[in-house]
Amino acid sequence: MFNLFKIEWLKIKTYRTFWILFLAFLVFFPLAFYFSASKYMESLSGSGRMEEQLLKAMIESPFVFPKVWLSSSWMGGLFFILLGMLFILLITNEVQYRTHRQNIIDGWSRTDFLKAKFSILIFFVLVSTALIFVSGLVVGLVFSPSKAAVFKGVYYVGYFALMATLYLMLAYLVAILIKRTGLAIIIYFAIVCILDNVLWLIFTLKNSQVGYFMPLEAVDSLVPNPFKPKIMERRTVEDYTLIIAAVLYITVYFSVIVNYFRKTDLKT
Amino acid sequence: MAVLTVDNLSKNYRSVKALQNVSFAVPEKTVFGILGPNGSGKTTLLGIVMDVLKASGGTYAWLGEQGTATLRKRIGTLLETPNFYHYLSAKDNLKIAAKIKGRGEDDIDKVLEIVNLYQRRDSKFNTYSLGMKQRLAIAAALLGDPDILVFDEPTNGLDPAGIAEIRELIKELNRKGKTIIMASHILDEVEKVCTHVAIIQKGVLKMVGSVKEVMAHSSGDVANAVLIELGADNDEALIKILQQMKGIQDIALVDHYLQITCAENITAVQVNKFCFDNGIVLNRLNEKRKSLETRFLEITGKQSDR
Repeated sequence: MFNLFKIEWLKIKTYRTFWILFLAFLVFFPLAFYFSASKYMESLSGSGRMEEQLLKAMIESPFVFPKVWLSSSWMGGLFFILLGMLFILLITNEVQYRTHRQNIIDGWSRTDFLKAKFSILIFFVLVSTALIFVSGLVVGLVFSPSKAAVFKGVYYVGYFALMATLYLMLAYLVAILIKRTGLAIIIYFAIVCILDNVLWLIFTLKNSQVGYFMPLEAVDSLVPNPFKPKIMERRTVEDYTLIIAAVLYITVYFSVIVNYFRKTDLKT
Repeated sequence: MAVLTVDNLSKNYRSVKALQNVSFAVPEKTVFGILGPNGSGKTTLLGIVMDVLKASGGTYAWLGEQGTATLRKRIGTLLETPNFYHYLSAKDNLKIAAKIKGRGEDDIDKVLEIVNLYQRRDSKFNTYSLGMKQRLAIAAALLGDPDILVFDEPTNGLDPAGIAEIRELIKELNRKGKTIIMASHILDEVEKVCTHVAIIQKGVLKMVGSVKEVMAHSSGDVANAVLIELGADNDEALIKILQQMKGIQDIALVDHYLQITCAENITAVQVNKFCFDNGIVLNRLNEKRKSLETRFLEITGKQSDR
């Protein structure tokens, strides 16, 4: 697997679009996170109006331990769409340039090709998870009044890793099936931003919990919006059921990708 | 042992039958031409044996083994169009190919020199002309000095000098004992380069064998007939005279000259003398060797099958 990743690295290390999107994520997320935290803490300490103070009091402060782990994971998820897009691009580029054919011709098996792309997926998940961890830690240390129990709630970073994996697996599936860069990215965004939320809305009406098990909602619910007051939360299903659902989705996407790609004609 | 055997290979694209039960074997150390008009299934056939397309039926084997990725690492292939990463230099592209093949990078410079791209090795692929892209694809196929080479339309996009170079390169590789499988729609190319040929039309294998066999394996008179092109100032008078000559089977007016088909014992000299003795001076006289082209047209029919 590591050898396959080294070859993938040769393909992308001088690819400008890769660096633009990758660095955008690496730079903009920590900056945005830090500045949000600093603005928020500033406004909190100021003598704001009563209602404002009241609202803030209802929410546990999102930028101090332990909640900072959730906030870092949640905000990282927003920026992570950049990497989803980049991942689609890296796969559909191969189809467009027909280099996926050339890789096979040169002696990769079809599974090698899939594994090579999977190694990039793992790379993205590892790098982004590390970044979310470091950002959460730094912001937490800077803004928390007490430095006790620093790692309480750090499991949210693990939830982020699961979320990142599922989002990238969906991107992988869309890229392999759709093949065309533009269309694949549009469909990915449609699923991420519209379809999944609409499904969630439909299924959570009448107080049903089914909506939380929609393909992406399962991981989204694990990392809920930290600015939403607790009383508005209507989810009653346990975290572990959502984790199982997410792992199931990952497995299903994985098997569809493998089955499809091993049998299909490699064309543009 | 045969380098490549295909057995009853078929491929359907929905209702289109791109290949129908094609079977043949490529002997070792030959230049094996796959000849056919555009859209006859040549690239489909090569795509299947390189595992980028999946056959609808039939099997294939490289060196007696059902196609595996490990075997492909030892085959140098140019399929259809040069496929490279547009934003990478020639050298970086070849590095990727070499890595996939599990070879070192030491012969990258060598193969770039063979195809005359060494000077441009650091230029990005998307700055290359069509002919240069084709050369790079040939260079990639040569990486690691493989014993089997597969070239699909290798002279595509090359200038006349380039075409001659590549043909010479293929012959040279064959002299070194390599087996080359080459698809082409250019008859002249196959005739000049190949030792064996498979003729394929509309996905059906029409004939296969050594070039000599395919040329000889012809039916009846046509096989041994001599073709002579000739012309005179007065075509009509010439036709009249020729009709009196024995051994002439057919006279046809082609463009501005006549083409006659004669029995095998007739030579151009005899025809010339006969005409001269009968008061006609020829301004054109050309005995045509029976070429693969005529054979090809006999086998596939004269209509283009598009």
